[in-house]
Amino acid sequence: MRRALREYNFDWMLYSTYDAASKLMAGTEKEYAHTLRYIPYFRGMIDAVLSTGEPGLSFVRTCAEYLKNIVTARERGRKVAITSFCFSPVIFYAMDITPVCLEVMSVFLTFTYRRGSAEFLDFCNEAGFTETSCSSQRGSLGAYLAGIGVDIDMVVTDTPGVCDTNANAFAFAAEWLGRPFFQLDMPPLLKGERYDRYHRDDYRALVSFLEAQTGTKLRAERLAAVLGELRKQDGLIAELEEMGRIVPSPLPPAFTLMNYAARFLFAGMKPCTDMLQSMVNAARENAARGASGLAGGAERLRGFFCYIDHYTYNMRMWRMAEDLGVCLQGNILSRNWSIDAPHVRENHMEDSAYSIDMTDLDSMIDSVAIMNSRMPMIKSIRGPFDAPDMWLEDTLSLARMYSADFVVYSGTPGCRNTWGMVKPFARETEKAGFPTHIMYSDAFDDRVQSWEATRARFEEFLRVRRLLV
Amino acid sequence: MNGRLIEAAETLNNEFVRQWKEDGGRVVGYTCSYAPDEVFHAAGILPYRIRGYGAQETTIGDTYFGPFICSLPKCMLQLAGGGAFDFLDGVVIVPGCDSMRRLDDCWRKAGEDMAGVVPPFFFHFAVPHKFADYTVNWFEGEIRRLIEAVERHFDVRITVEALRVAIAAYNRGRVLLEELERMRRLPEPPIAGAEALSVVIAGSAMPRDAYNDLLEECILDLRAKTRCLQGRRRLMLVGSASDDTALVRFLEGDRALVVADNLCFGARFHNDRVDDGVLDPVRALAERYLRRSDCPRMYGDYRRRLEILTDAIQSASVEGVILQNIRFCDLHGAENGLFERDLEARGIPCMRIEREYGPLVETGRLKMRLDAFLERIDGKRRTA
Amino acid sequence: MIVGGCDVGSLTSKAVVMKDGKVLGSMLIKSKARPGESAEEVMNGACAAAGVERREIMFCVGTGYGRDRIGFVNEAVSEIACHGRGARWMVPTARTIIDIGGQDCKAIRLDAEGTVTKFVTNDKCASGTGRFLEVMARLLGVGLDELGELSVRSKNPVTLANACTVWAQADVIQFLNDGVPLEDIAAGINNAMAGRMAVLVNNLGIENDVCMTGGVAKNRGVLAAIEKMLGLRLRAIRRHDPQLAGALGAALIAMDKTAGGVK
Repeated sequence: MRRALREYNFDWMLYSTYDAASKLMAGTEKEYAHTLRYIPYFRGMIDAVLSTGEPGLSFVRTCAEYLKNIVTARERGRKVAITSFCFSPVIFYAMDITPVCLEVMSVFLTFTYRRGSAEFLDFCNEAGFTETSCSSQRGSLGAYLAGIGVDIDMVVTDTPGVCDTNANAFAFAAEWLGRPFFQLDMPPLLKGERYDRYHRDDYRALVSFLEAQTGTKLRAERLAAVLGELRKQDGLIAELEEMGRIVPSPLPPAFTLMNYAARFLFAGMKPCTDMLQSMVNAARENAARGASGLAGGAERLRGFFCYIDHYTYNMRMWRMAEDLGVCLQGNILSRNWSIDAPHVRENHMEDSAYSIDMTDLDSMIDSVAIMNSRMPMIKSIRGPFDAPDMWLEDTLSLARMYSADFVVYSGTPGCRNTWGMVKPFARETEKAGFPTHIMYSDAFDDRVQSWEATRARFEEFLRVRRLLV
Repeated sequence: MNGRLIEAAETLNNEFVRQWKEDGGRVVGYTCSYAPDEVFHAAGILPYRIRGYGAQETTIGDTYFGPFICSLPKCMLQLAGGGAFDFLDGVVIVPGCDSMRRLDDCWRKAGEDMAGVVPPFFFHFAVPHKFADYTVNWFEGEIRRLIEAVERHFDVRITVEALRVAIAAYNRGRVLLEELERMRRLPEPPIAGAEALSVVIAGSAMPRDAYNDLLEECILDLRAKTRCLQGRRRLMLVGSASDDTALVRFLEGDRALVVADNLCFGARFHNDRVDDGVLDPVRALAERYLRRSDCPRMYGDYRRRLEILTDAIQSASVEGVILQNIRFCDLHGAENGLFERDLEARGIPCMRIEREYGPLVETGRLKMRLDAFLERIDGKRRTA
Repeated sequence: MIVGGCDVGSLTSKAVVMKDGKVLGSMLIKSKARPGESAEEVMNGACAAAGVERREIMFCVGTGYGRDRIGFVNEAVSEIACHGRGARWMVPTARTIIDIGGQDCKAIRLDAEGTVTKFVTNDKCASGTGRFLEVMARLLGVGLDELGELSVRSKNPVTLANACTVWAQADVIQFLNDGVPLEDIAAGINNAMAGRMAVLVNNLGIENDVCMTGGVAKNRGVLAAIEKMLGLRLRAIRRHDPQLAGALGAALIAMDKTAGGVK
């Protein structure tokens, strides 16, 4: 890492960027256009998000607020935990712990800085971590290892049994920083009394750990408040997902990202509800007019990303979707496994979903434990790809339900668990009638394959498979 | 040195396996040292650790696995696809790590393309990633699930008594292996690291009772040995799966000796016992196998692993540690980064290697680094 | 006392003849299929340049990939030790040495006495090595020297695959097809190279002064990119050709081995 970069506080650098961006729309249109000239690298992303109107503005504000929480955590006396996108933050919010989600922080960087997260990625390797590990954590972990971010009090993850490289990044970070570590462990199957009991016992151990770290007990009313908000959010997400089925889809491509980002940042908190509400409002308006969410107005194709998106800078993946008229039908991250979710009802997957029982503290902890075990990736990447409730079943049911024309795998070379099965998996999706494209790029690091090459190969796939003539 | 042990380690379908099959015995392969051999022993089945040893290419492995995957499971699948494991009546996939976990998916898929590649008994055996009362409970349940599946498929009964006999047999082997380890660490060891690794590996590829007898014989021979190995630089080899004695032989050359190791396939899984005083042998197995913290897959237990290493370094008077990992093995790779930091701070020279599993090719670069590392150890000797 | 050092590398072979701490002559050739042949030819060339007979060399040290297959050397020593020794002779204050050769790159740390205390090498593919630059220069249709000059003019360097030469090639072809200016691609190539090197050096831990040896040390663009990445100035090597560091170190070690070694 260059010495110059170490002069900047990492969290403040991101916070000031997003905070400034959230105020861009406060002036006149002329002022906005003028300001864009001064942020040549960042303006593509700003435009892509803010062009969605109120939801986009709400998204940028929400990001700024999340980052503000991090930079002010110390002065507010909050403990800080680094954690993962697939770990629901509701328990942190219920216990006044400030989460720092590494993958989200990495995306903040890759979206906004042309140099991306390269030097933070590399710093992890300089510290002794493997370069073959997943870039999604390394992209921001480097900053915390280098000591230029907020002081971390604890490290919490839930990926053992699901993703080694993720779990290993957190275990490494805990050891390197000398901080307490907690892991929720995931057995290879999802359903059944034995599995439920394991998830619940494990989650109770987590609560004890967090109580020991904060010195306070988890209070029923605090958890109830957060879960009450979560229920509202589940309802809004269900409505958004239902609207995604309409042809043309009234959801702009950026909504896939905003849908999961809202939850990763603030599940169970008001900013997430507000953001989802503004997305629902905008989508309802489009739906009422029968309009496509695509800026060009014409939906040419519907694509389902079976894993994650590609987070190259300036949101070029979403802008490409706009250019090509591809309606993005979400990915593994954007699906919610609430019992009310449309795909749960449609496919009669109620026993694979979660519901929230607010009777008392015990029932709420049990509910959160089961909800957490249904988080993206945690739910469906734990067992063999073709086992019940796992990757193939989910992908096919969602791709069919959302009338996808094709399936795309985008991930990172660090993703051992999916790269270990993506070829047999793709054979099955092809067999089921979905042309399937495997991206060999790194969703968080353009140095593995430049975005230009990634896009060229994707377009070639669309041409060769006669999807886009 | 007992040639039969070496043969058992270096031949997949070795004389013991062949004899076992000729006698009508059944063999079940497993992929990771967290599988409890005792269960199979108690069922009268030969437990056999599946390896990738001898694979010359990974064309079959690459057909099913993606490119960013450890070469060990690819080599295993390569051998399976080529018929090298046709003697197996069953396979237990243990998700020791993600690459190995996906051997389940890829092996079954290969079975759709190549008839007979997947044995009739195919079982996914999960192991939690931490040790706590509730994880032991769960793991005990998983062992019972395995027992039931074996009983059902092979039409056998696994009795408590048979489990006790199995535990006694494996514990005896562990005592003997501990003695072997002690002898390796002597100032003038009677055995080189490559041979010692063969002896350990043989134990995972032949009936335990026969192994114990040969091992005992081997130890007596070593005790009687008058010409021991002297004056070499004393190395410890640490990290990912390594059953390749050629690699150890290469590292040792004529100037060095691997006097201790902490390797998947090495002796690290054998230096304790299953508690035979516990009333329920299944509980005892669950406790023993899960308590082991000899693999970085047990997250958050690095300090204990560091102590295991430093104890070995001290007792074996290790002068340098080679920290190796197979490419894409982030568990060992990242841990090696931490080991390097902490051991170097204690004045112990370390060298990290990232390698591919499989035939030892292109050794030029490795030799250059190894020579420089030995020169560094010599420099330390001179200034000591 | 006349001594020799012979460094048989994967791409080039180098030899140096020294007397009383001074270089009498040196030679650099492209390596042949057999290391023994390369060694003979390059040593003969160095002797001719030095104006001495082969038999006058009292002690010769061999290094490089082919070091164990050179018949005439008295002793074989690792490249790490030789590069460390050679670099120290060229830059007496050097504590950290970056060496980028044809097929590998390494970072070496020396103590105050010049003894190697730690080293790391790139054990991946050709990425981050001289070969990587060669392949890329050929794709751009420019000479290796031009690559450095070109990149200095870039205002908007591209981001390039840096972990794999084959993938980087694909990227470069894509950029060429897209009409990206050559200087921006060249700068991207040098940055990719520098990025890999910086990780290696930072992993080793930097101690000043830092200098760079090996053939790539002559590429201005890579030097500048590494300086930028590391945030420091590399000590310039003027005393001798930095590509000869290994052979030079071998000759110096030969001198140490005989009485009256000169530091």
